[in-house]
Amino acid sequence: MIRHLFKLIWNRKKSNFLLITEIFFCFLVLFGVLSFIVYNVSNYTKPLGFKHENVWLLTMRPSTDSTAQNRQIVEQVIQRVRAFPQVEQASFTSSNAPFSFSRMNNDFSYGKIKRIESDVYEVQDEYKDVMQLQVSKGRWFSASDNASHHEPIVINKAFQQGLFGEEDPVGKVIHVNDTTTYQVVGVTDYFRAGSEYAAEFPAVFTRINLQKNPDKYENELLIRVKPGTGIDFEEKMVKEISGIGKEWTMEVATLEKMRQNKSKLTLVPMIALGLVCGFLILNVALGLFGVLWYNISRRNSEIGLRRALGAASGQIYRQFIGEVLVLATFGLIFGVLFAVQFPLLQVFDVESEVYFIALAGAVVLIYVLTTICALYPSRQAAAIHPAIALHED
Amino acid sequence: MLKNYFKIAWKVLLRRKFFTFISLFGISFTLMVLMVATSLFDHTFGPQMPERETDRILFVNQIREQVKEGYTNSGPASYSFFDRHVRTMKTPEKVSINSMPFQVNSYINNRKLAIDIKYTDREFWDILDFNFLEGNAYTQQDVKSANRVAVINQNTREQYFGKAEAIGKYIVVDQVKYKVVGVVENVPVLRVQSYADVWVPVSLKSQDFSKPGLRGTYFATIKAREASDIPEIKAEYAAMMQEVERQQPTKGSKLFSFPDTFLESFARTFLGQGQETGIGILYGILTVLILLFMLLPTINLVSINISRIMERSSEIGVRKAFGASSSTIIGQFIIENIFLTLLGGLLGLLLSAGVLWLINDSGMIVYANLGLNLRVFGIGMLLCLVFGLISGVYPAYKMSRLQAVEALKGGSK
Repeated sequence: MIRHLFKLIWNRKKSNFLLITEIFFCFLVLFGVLSFIVYNVSNYTKPLGFKHENVWLLTMRPSTDSTAQNRQIVEQVIQRVRAFPQVEQASFTSSNAPFSFSRMNNDFSYGKIKRIESDVYEVQDEYKDVMQLQVSKGRWFSASDNASHHEPIVINKAFQQGLFGEEDPVGKVIHVNDTTTYQVVGVTDYFRAGSEYAAEFPAVFTRINLQKNPDKYENELLIRVKPGTGIDFEEKMVKEISGIGKEWTMEVATLEKMRQNKSKLTLVPMIALGLVCGFLILNVALGLFGVLWYNISRRNSEIGLRRALGAASGQIYRQFIGEVLVLATFGLIFGVLFAVQFPLLQVFDVESEVYFIALAGAVVLIYVLTTICALYPSRQAAAIHPAIALHED
Repeated sequence: MLKNYFKIAWKVLLRRKFFTFISLFGISFTLMVLMVATSLFDHTFGPQMPERETDRILFVNQIREQVKEGYTNSGPASYSFFDRHVRTMKTPEKVSINSMPFQVNSYINNRKLAIDIKYTDREFWDILDFNFLEGNAYTQQDVKSANRVAVINQNTREQYFGKAEAIGKYIVVDQVKYKVVGVVENVPVLRVQSYADVWVPVSLKSQDFSKPGLRGTYFATIKAREASDIPEIKAEYAAMMQEVERQQPTKGSKLFSFPDTFLESFARTFLGQGQETGIGILYGILTVLILLFMLLPTINLVSINISRIMERSSEIGVRKAFGASSSTIIGQFIIENIFLTLLGGLLGLLLSAGVLWLINDSGMIVYANLGLNLRVFGIGMLLCLVFGLISGVYPAYKMSRLQAVEALKGGSK
């Protein structure tokens, strides 16, 4: 039966050519959009590794070029901020705070000249409490590291797997340049600070050591406030610290707001793409329906003949559904051959899993879609009375 | 004859309403997406308030230093660089130096406003055409004496003053008190070079004026006397850059900075390499995307058209038997198709007007004011015609080759 159907389609390949191309392109569009959606959704369901509720980011823009003076002011600001009863904890951070638009990265190698690229976050000891990080192995840095020979670092799982594989990373020493060596003191499972839709990327936390580097200062401050603290306190805080830094610009943003901005960047294109794709598919479905209907209604005499020779109406019904599925299969064979290159060639460095889920999803969707389009015309065909059909010609 | 064709086309449309609906839906939807995309593009890069004369305005928003092989840093340039090297250029009519927008906070009765503030000189207002709803821009005198005056946009005005008079009142932004001298229409956020919520005199940041170095937080906006002067300005700028590069203390450091139109600067940010703006690549990518997007609906339309024309094979047979040539028949079908696509195009226009209104209303893009202007409309209609031709030619060609006898018998099996 199946071979017979293939033969039927193959014999009329010229007139079915357009339908096959349409299904092929339809599949490609679906595959592309689904890959994008699956990638984002699978990232979204993974843990962020920190808690951003009730955390504010204070950005201080100095008005002078004198490093020593600026350093003094930011230290006064952080002491003042920590003294507020509404503030639970505060920590300096490099400019790449969670959900911000800036990134800092560096290459690291260990042992056999293996290089991995990693995000670098320069933070203070208090950062762990501000962002509520969970250290799963080893420890977070503390004041006891002030005198240590190597710079203590905390890494995330992705970094560990990239550089050390399955070895225990705690205690390992990484040479960065002639003067600096890092020693891993702890591991945190996850840390995805870019956005909720970003993939897990290697991350390293280095320690801001104020005593050691008197000529360096950070002008971003992460502040964890007590739940329920609102605008009135924010205004009060900004007024007070503006008094410390004359002519400075003090800007406060909540991490929640920054998260929304960041997620908008992914969500808006995703929704737009989804809508466009949905309409394209609907359009194709309507077209397919129309063409199938027309094609089947032209084969009345053939159906009449088969019925007269004793085919049951159920068989006719199945034959037409089968024909459409075979048609879809032709289109899909080419489509899958094309799409399978993506995971094979590791395009865009995305896990192959994402592509395979999207591929399977697209195949299933196309079959469902074509079946739905074929249901009504096939029912019409099966309901034809042989006498009437044969009478027509 | 044409009138006849239209009559026939109309009758055919009414004959199979379902098919007509499918075709019209496909055409109008496809055009709608293209029109919304065009409108977005136009809104971002076309001549619009406050940059009406796009062909006479150039922007510099980046300077890139390449110190040693591979190590580069780039970003907006410093005030002193523009002041010393760009303001002194001969060819331009006017040069404005303005800062990038900074986000600052201000608090009004227990609400927080995140405001983007931009420091500009007086020339900024001369070069760009802002729509002043109330008051005027600050004067050269204001800039000279670093007065604390501000031009604010409509949105900020509503947040601060509601319905009350704004001119002459004071607003507090980032703990500093400014006197409002003008209110302008909201500038869309996509216009990176002129967008802000509040504009104040650049001299309030006079500590930046003497900062050495090439990198800083400033943009330059250059206006040419004539559109034809643009290449000359670019040439003079390039010569100036070479001179600056030669004076760099570190040997072997390279500098890159170019005056660009808005579209060029966008292309350069994402696709440019070295001297190339990458604008060709940008157009290439856009064309490929549009073609890909139109492909599916076109194939769909072609297959529907083929089925529809098949139904009319006896009509074709009769016409051929009476001596109509293939080209006449092709002509008729193409005209019918164009008629159909234009109809779909009109529907698409209505749809896109609705969608654009929705986008404006939803506030997805800050201060967006997307609209269908004549240019977008024209492009849409052109797309319609292309679409109609592509989807009409093949089926018509296929049909016109039928032998009269075959056609009379009811088409090829």
